[in-house]
Amino acid sequence: MSGQDRRAGGRRGISGDVWNALALFGLTALLILGSRWISPGFGGWSQAKAILVLSSFVVVVAFGQQLVILTGGLDLSIASVMTMGGVLAFTFIGASSPALLWGVPGVLLLTAAIGALNGIGVVWLRVPPFIMTLAMGIIVYGATLGLTGGTPRGQPSPLLSALFTADLAGVPLVIYLISVLAVLGTLLQRGTGFGRRLYAVGTNPAAAHIAGLPVRRITMMTYVISGASAGLAGVLMVGYAGGATLTMGQSYQLPSIAAVVVGGTSILGGSGLYLGAVGGALLLTTFSTVIASIGIAEGWRTVIYGIVILLALLLLREELYVWVGRLAARPGGIPPRSTPSTAMTGGNK
Amino acid sequence: MSASVANTRQRTAMSIRRLLGNGTLIVAAIYALLFVIFALRQADALSRNSIVDLFNNALPLALAAAGGTLVVLTRGFDLSVAGVVALSNVLMATVVGDGPAGALEGLAMVTGIGLLVGAVNGVLVAYVRLQSIASTLATMIVTSGLALLVLDAPGGNVPDFVADTLTDVVAGGIPVAAVIALAVVLAWLVLRRTDWGVALYAVGADETAAGLAGIPTRRVMFLAYCLAGVFYALSGYMLSALTATGNPNAGNSYLLLTFAAIAIGGTSFSGGRGDVVGAMLGAATLTLLQKVLFSAGVSSFYTGIFQGIVMILAVLVAALSDRIASGRRA
Amino acid sequence: MSAARVAMAQPPLTLDVAGVAKSYGATIALQRVTFDLRRGEVHALLGENGAGKSTLVKILSGIVRPDSGSVRLAGQPFEPHSLLAARAAGVSTAFQELSLLPNLSVATNLTLPRQRKGPVGLGSRRLNEAKAAELLAECDATDIDPGALVADLSLAEKQRVEIVRAVSQRPRLLILDEPTAALAEPEWLFRIVERLAATGVGVLYISHRLAEVRRLCLRGTVLRNGESIATVDLADAQDTDIFRMMVGRGAEEATQRTRGTQQRAAEAPALMLKDLRGAGVEGVSLDLHRGEIVGVAALEGQGQRDLFRILGGAAPAESGVIAVQAKPVRFADPRHALHAGIGFVPEERKTEGIFLGMTTASNISLPILGRLLRLGLIDGRRERAEVREAARGVDLPDRYIGMRISALSGGNQQKALIARVLLSGARILVLFDPTRGVDVGTKEVIYGVIRQFATGGGSVLLYSTELSELVQLAHRCLVMYRGRIVGEATGEGLTEQRLVSLASGHGRAA
Repeated sequence: MSGQDRRAGGRRGISGDVWNALALFGLTALLILGSRWISPGFGGWSQAKAILVLSSFVVVVAFGQQLVILTGGLDLSIASVMTMGGVLAFTFIGASSPALLWGVPGVLLLTAAIGALNGIGVVWLRVPPFIMTLAMGIIVYGATLGLTGGTPRGQPSPLLSALFTADLAGVPLVIYLISVLAVLGTLLQRGTGFGRRLYAVGTNPAAAHIAGLPVRRITMMTYVISGASAGLAGVLMVGYAGGATLTMGQSYQLPSIAAVVVGGTSILGGSGLYLGAVGGALLLTTFSTVIASIGIAEGWRTVIYGIVILLALLLLREELYVWVGRLAARPGGIPPRSTPSTAMTGGNK
Repeated sequence: MSASVANTRQRTAMSIRRLLGNGTLIVAAIYALLFVIFALRQADALSRNSIVDLFNNALPLALAAAGGTLVVLTRGFDLSVAGVVALSNVLMATVVGDGPAGALEGLAMVTGIGLLVGAVNGVLVAYVRLQSIASTLATMIVTSGLALLVLDAPGGNVPDFVADTLTDVVAGGIPVAAVIALAVVLAWLVLRRTDWGVALYAVGADETAAGLAGIPTRRVMFLAYCLAGVFYALSGYMLSALTATGNPNAGNSYLLLTFAAIAIGGTSFSGGRGDVVGAMLGAATLTLLQKVLFSAGVSSFYTGIFQGIVMILAVLVAALSDRIASGRRA
Repeated sequence: MSAARVAMAQPPLTLDVAGVAKSYGATIALQRVTFDLRRGEVHALLGENGAGKSTLVKILSGIVRPDSGSVRLAGQPFEPHSLLAARAAGVSTAFQELSLLPNLSVATNLTLPRQRKGPVGLGSRRLNEAKAAELLAECDATDIDPGALVADLSLAEKQRVEIVRAVSQRPRLLILDEPTAALAEPEWLFRIVERLAATGVGVLYISHRLAEVRRLCLRGTVLRNGESIATVDLADAQDTDIFRMMVGRGAEEATQRTRGTQQRAAEAPALMLKDLRGAGVEGVSLDLHRGEIVGVAALEGQGQRDLFRILGGAAPAESGVIAVQAKPVRFADPRHALHAGIGFVPEERKTEGIFLGMTTASNISLPILGRLLRLGLIDGRRERAEVREAARGVDLPDRYIGMRISALSGGNQQKALIARVLLSGARILVLFDPTRGVDVGTKEVIYGVIRQFATGGGSVLLYSTELSELVQLAHRCLVMYRGRIVGEATGEGLTEQRLVSLASGHGRAA
């Protein structure tokens, strides 16, 4: 936004983001431990396990959502795509375990294709991401509604349910799954060429274009991945709930964005780490679990949610770093007498 | 000589282009066309009840779209519409007394809340300089939460006075909703000709240049969000009159529909081009479309699909007409 | 003009700037600027790009506040906190980057931010247009229709509206920032400036064109690296003296030119353009050989930007041929240009060049990510090694490599950008004003890099707003005017004077 040199100093991008993620994990642990105070049954390993399992869906959808946000977009079709994924898995895979082999990839392919449609709309038709994905969400929801005639029919899959019920060394299988995802996701972002180019596109699309990066393809890919990750979350939900409903995705739209934003990703694109989003998901899930346990109304939970997002936005502003940097740079700690208005120093046309 | 002929021809070409690029005219034509279809399919389409109904159904969305347009003109997005509509609706269904006094009291209360939410958005976007989508997303969540606190499930009763009077007709057959819509249109025509109205277009087109031209850009944006909040509140107020009951989720469908109406009304999402009247007509078009689909026997399951597609098409058409109007190619 | 010349008794000061300084974070925009401007004087402000002219304009226009120093306007302290305050105090500015709103009419633009009101207090289109017509007539610009949309005007018309708007504020100090950049007939402006000066208005005139400056101004202040070097009586100063003050080098040093002729053997040119056309480019043909540095000189807005963008793949060509090593190529995307071996350094470093949020290393290594992979992951050690070597090539110290590039000075950012382009393996560099806004030290480094690149067999097409730079660096220099190449200067004929006369559309003949 501002055309001046930023005095964020020589902060190395990576360590800052990792720090941020670790802080979120720490906060989550503290919150879980602290909840013992509310009820003696809380604060133990079993509660931590329950929270990890519960947060797995947000962890999964937040992966795609974050990639989209990193390129400066937003995916508002996630709730409907997740529902569609779940309904399809419930209907077509059913109780058959061999069907998982083709069923799960099939669902992921289909939801990825929906993501691709989002990508085409945003990248080639230049529809604002927020409009495109909102409209796509309604379309997909309508299609799911029509497809099921209002009530999804099918059978729960025992193997999918086993992800949540069976454990290995006392830890439910799904927790291994999201741990692996957290590591792979972070590696994809920081360790691969795709990830590096993705950040470049998110930081400065114009420069990325001039530098010869395939800006459209990369942006498109983020929507495809977002569709697939929402589909995967829907499939997992079927395992957890043992069924599918037409509203199963609804309560994950805002958390998917909130986890990403609270996890330290700039909504303007270009900066953030998946590990942070995972931390954000854990923290928010813990938060709502604890709050729910003290019997607070859903309204208050929503209000607090909104305020948390707002605080995260306020705290993550680049200007704040600039300001802190200036305080550190000036021994007197006196802020500059005047700052030019952003409106004026911003680039022209 | 020939130069002036060429000049005239160029000017004519320009005015034709501008006509084609005028979103308000286009949407008016679409509405007329849709209405003809509706009238052909539905026998009682031209009856007084049916017309009053059309106005009543369209007005809440038209008000929301009018407010949203103000923000879109400054190149922003305001998602708080969903929360404010819901909050106004549940308040009208729970805490407001009956009679004209109650109606006025309710009106003052909801517009006050709308103004407040708009002011918060305005501060966050214009002064703190947060991204409009992000900050209005947060205020939308907060206001939806507040709506749930007031009323945690659909229910409640909107005072009869509001529900009856505002959906009735006056002066021998003019729907109250039409009178209100006309008042809003007139108010917009006035606002448009104030310094603020002109500045709104300037800021949306190029904030830097607007600043260099001496426009207090932040104040202009701040006021746009404030006024938008008031419009959303009015929308919730009229929605309450229409449904006569409260629903904390009433605003959910407004998010999509408001932006669809704005897009159909020919307002460009890249700012500085568009019109409140167009957006209101866009809202009316969407409402009519629902009726036409219904009369054509399309299952209500699929209404969403149509709405979504119409919305994307509207944005594409708006972008195209933008291009035609500015004479750019490719 | 002559009136001012005989006024030996010094008229009172309209503007008195003393020791003004301004920095943005680590970047010092103005170090210390001191000069004055008398009543009725047309005073020139001279300096290279990045010398601090635009920051000074912003300070005087009330957009930016100085960190220290004082400004007095007609004897009173002048510390405007906004553009409107500056305007109220009697300072108005015609901005270089034009501050017009394309979606509004000429009349509305001229009357912003306050419209003329009709009887009920509402803006009246009729009154607005009448007022605008009056203002346009005062400035002898009746050919512009007050009702026309600004978007429908030509660039020259827009520039005139911008000037009319500044003049219409009835300022006591008028600031004109590169006012003739797009004007085909500057005489129109000169008449206005002279008329205003005769009525006692002070005019601060900023222009690259020395001939214009000499035509209008008696005195001029030279800025260099944010410092006012001197205020000179233009009548007594030679062009070379002024250039020396602007560049900060002796004339003899400045002529230390690229020597040696490049082998123009029978081999095909590295880059060949034949009748290339596109928006702003009206048929350009040229040959660029191996080992050759070819300069492009042009006044503002003569199609050079479009030409370079086409070569960088950032703008489409409409017709004509681009051939690299005699092989015809088409660029629909910058990627294609890159594949053809063309490395493009765009004009705007911050918006189109670097990635502010990323580290310097990530900025530099972007083009070679593909070959840094090991088992699908980027090999950090090899990346650091490659980046370090590339950084060394442009004299960028190691300690900056791990930092976010946003923490670097403009000069170092530019070095990193050039390092990235070199690392892409380009054999042809297309550089658009690569030394814009960088310090003198960095300039020398960049010159060295360009020369070395050419010596190593690469080819360079270079545009610069600083003619001295072209004279120094290029083997030969092409001059663009209105989208075409109108002349060429080589060998002994490659001088700034010759480039200036060619660039202004004169002296077609050799």
